[in-house]
Amino acid sequence: MSDMTEEQRKQLEEKIKKMSPEELQEFQKQQCIFCQIIAGKIPSKKVYSDDKCIAVMDINPATKGHVLLLPKEHYSIMPQVPDKEIGHLLMVSKYLSQIVLKTLKVSGTNVFVANGGIAGQRAQHFMLHLIPRKEGDKVLDVEDKLVDANIRAKVKDLVEPKLNALLGVKKEKQVTLPETTVELPETTEKVGGKKEQVLEEEEIEESEVEIPPKKEKLKTYGKKKKEKESKDVVKVKGVKEKKVTVGKEKIVELDDIASLFK
Amino acid sequence: MLERQNHPDIIYEDNDVAIAIRDFSTIAGQITVFPKQHHTILEMVPDELVQKCFILANKVSMAIFEGLGAQGTNLLIQNGLGAGQKIPHFAIEVIPRREGDGLKLQWDPKQLSPDEMDTAYLLIKEEADKLVDIGKKKKEDKKEEPKPEVKKEEGLKVTKAEGKENYLLKSMRRLP
Repeated sequence: MSDMTEEQRKQLEEKIKKMSPEELQEFQKQQCIFCQIIAGKIPSKKVYSDDKCIAVMDINPATKGHVLLLPKEHYSIMPQVPDKEIGHLLMVSKYLSQIVLKTLKVSGTNVFVANGGIAGQRAQHFMLHLIPRKEGDKVLDVEDKLVDANIRAKVKDLVEPKLNALLGVKKEKQVTLPETTVELPETTEKVGGKKEQVLEEEEIEESEVEIPPKKEKLKTYGKKKKEKESKDVVKVKGVKEKKVTVGKEKIVELDDIASLFK
Repeated sequence: MLERQNHPDIIYEDNDVAIAIRDFSTIAGQITVFPKQHHTILEMVPDELVQKCFILANKVSMAIFEGLGAQGTNLLIQNGLGAGQKIPHFAIEVIPRREGDGLKLQWDPKQLSPDEMDTAYLLIKEEADKLVDIGKKKKEDKKEEPKPEVKKEEGLKVTKAEGKENYLLKSMRRLP
């Protein structure tokens, strides 16, 4: 790219402007380093590949034996990846993790996904990190703190309806998934009962009564950095608006996240 | 697992998988997806269950984006003591992320000599080559099964022997 003359650069910029969304996606693929690795245009240390995914050694490893697992198709963020491929990816990482444990004689592995620039995603291509771990290596070392029960309850109120909405639509599809060998029959009724509860909760949430607790909750987030507080409150308003308009808004939101990497 | 039926922090459960809000977590709003059946580490979880857990984890991640207004999510599996696993039950952690949350879920690239890189690569590659194709491996299993039925005409003894062999082969594959 660096040896392009200014004229060429201008031409390229104009070209990008004229592109249709499909063409733009294709262009992104061409620009994606990992797509080029998958296509074999850039040499890599490939350890595994099948029709859906490919595993290569990370050139900037966190530890010795750090493997990247990439879907062959170009997805910039995780929500874009179809269920089948998501499942397949973790299944492959299970086998690779087994190999890593055996060959490198490490005491554990981390499977890690960074979803969004803020979460540490550095490339435009969705991937799984498989990181061999030894005690005291201080990689991905996270401290656990006790989260207040009130906060947990609020998180539940916020996330549960969304999750059920997502799963509710896809529940029929999930039935077609291969069933696992062990079944615990006693829970089936409960799930049905829960659903109804959730529906009620959703209705409540759209009313304005719910707003104060949300603010409270975000303020506790803000305790760590008080400057952030004002920003967070603005965000609450944004979230509220999104809740009222379902459907199209969701898709826009995902695209927004994707656009962070452009 | 410690968290069981009717626990207030459980937000979803079906026959195989449960999803709950973690009480001890790196940040408020961390949600964990775990199979109900007890498996200590990822390697012990059956393929289908692994797939289902991860699909659900993706859904949780989406729900966190929408419900909590998170700007990003991290999915983390701590597999083994050395990897920071605290509860001996396989689980996928979904961690909501926002700007300035102070979490350091990153790493500094390690400077390894080309030799070290190569040994790690070759060791993994050698074993991974044996895997061939995980998808195909399953199909091979299925192909082997119907064989005895075809040979039934030739004699029952043959089929019995083959059936046993297949069973042994299968149990061999299941060994960690």
